[in-house]
Amino acid sequence: MAGSRLERFGTVYSRVRDLMRSGVIKPSQKPIWFDVYEAFPPKKEPLYVKPHTRTATKKQEPVPEIFYREDEIRAKFFEHYGSGYRSFLLHKPDFVSTSQRFVDKYMELKSRGELEEAALFEETGKALLAEGITLKKRGAPSVSAESRESRLTDMSAEEQTVGAGSEETTDTADTTNTHTT
Amino acid sequence: MTLPLEKPDFFRVSELFSVKSLFEARVHLGHKKGCRHRLMEPYLYGCRLEQDIIDLDQTVEHLQLALNFTAHVAYRGGVILFVSRQRQFSQLVENTAKGCGEYAHTRYWQGGLLTNAPIQYGPGVRLPDLIVFLSTLNNVFQQHVGIRDAAKMNIPTIGVVDSNCNPSLLTYPVPGNDDTPIAMELYCHLFKMIINRAKDKRKHMELLPSAAPPHASELLKTSN
Repeated sequence: MAGSRLERFGTVYSRVRDLMRSGVIKPSQKPIWFDVYEAFPPKKEPLYVKPHTRTATKKQEPVPEIFYREDEIRAKFFEHYGSGYRSFLLHKPDFVSTSQRFVDKYMELKSRGELEEAALFEETGKALLAEGITLKKRGAPSVSAESRESRLTDMSAEEQTVGAGSEETTDTADTTNTHTT
Repeated sequence: MTLPLEKPDFFRVSELFSVKSLFEARVHLGHKKGCRHRLMEPYLYGCRLEQDIIDLDQTVEHLQLALNFTAHVAYRGGVILFVSRQRQFSQLVENTAKGCGEYAHTRYWQGGLLTNAPIQYGPGVRLPDLIVFLSTLNNVFQQHVGIRDAAKMNIPTIGVVDSNCNPSLLTYPVPGNDDTPIAMELYCHLFKMIINRAKDKRKHMELLPSAAPPHASELLKTSN
């Protein structure tokens, strides 16, 4: 059967259509998928795109980072209490973790409106304690990323005092939690 | 024959899945930011702590187009080939193909499989009319040779592209996770259901004495 094997020129559809128009492929040999493609074309034509050899210079639309307002609350929670004692059971679709309960309680107390930031944090801790979830506090507070030497000494001091894993948090908006043992 | 093509959703593809079912199957999870392919950027919703999240609204549209295309090809008696080079899902893909009466190829892809078919398999071989890649990468994280070969032999392709894959040569790419077992089971289930549905409708149409359009649509409504 006649065909054109140039995958880099045009799409599968354009090649077959042109072969039929020129008479190389007879109408009786029309492929099965041809009418279906004409009736339901894809969103983007399957053209071959040449790979860039130069380093990417377009920075207008990188993929946006996803952050929520509650991430700040979550960052403070993990920095204060460490990773929760309860593991994340992700196979249940409606699972609510300790940190998520904390965040929900925080937002609820915030919407009532009386307290400010630091007090809100304490209040949520107490409210969760009242509901029966004990939150074990981590020993030392967070360390800033600027002073590396002091961080190393702090880490060794923490490992002696706390015994659990140590986390590092940065003060910028994007917080990454890395667990090092 | 042209009647199914006139309706936008003859096989009711949109009823098979929703954004919620894709989310629960973890289809939206991509790879890390460093593994991202340049051409996948339009399909990504965002990046959460360096992990790419695929935009499920776009995935729904692409998946509907892809499933609709397979259904129509199966309705017209086309040969469909499932390809996946992921070892952990080879059993699943082969069972899917067996379940809908189509073909699967989950082993090493020899160079001349499509391009040298008459010599490798004998003269007058019928090549597949549609190739479905359930994972477009091979075991060395390069693009599967079959995509390029299918484009050479003018065969349309459908492929599940993850955030580290190249979607340019696929006719109907479907952005989605290709590594989680539950996501793969969802895809296989969807493809199997739609192909079986298309073949059943074909049998219904053939059993009618004359394919007069109003009568045929009535019968289909009562039988479904």
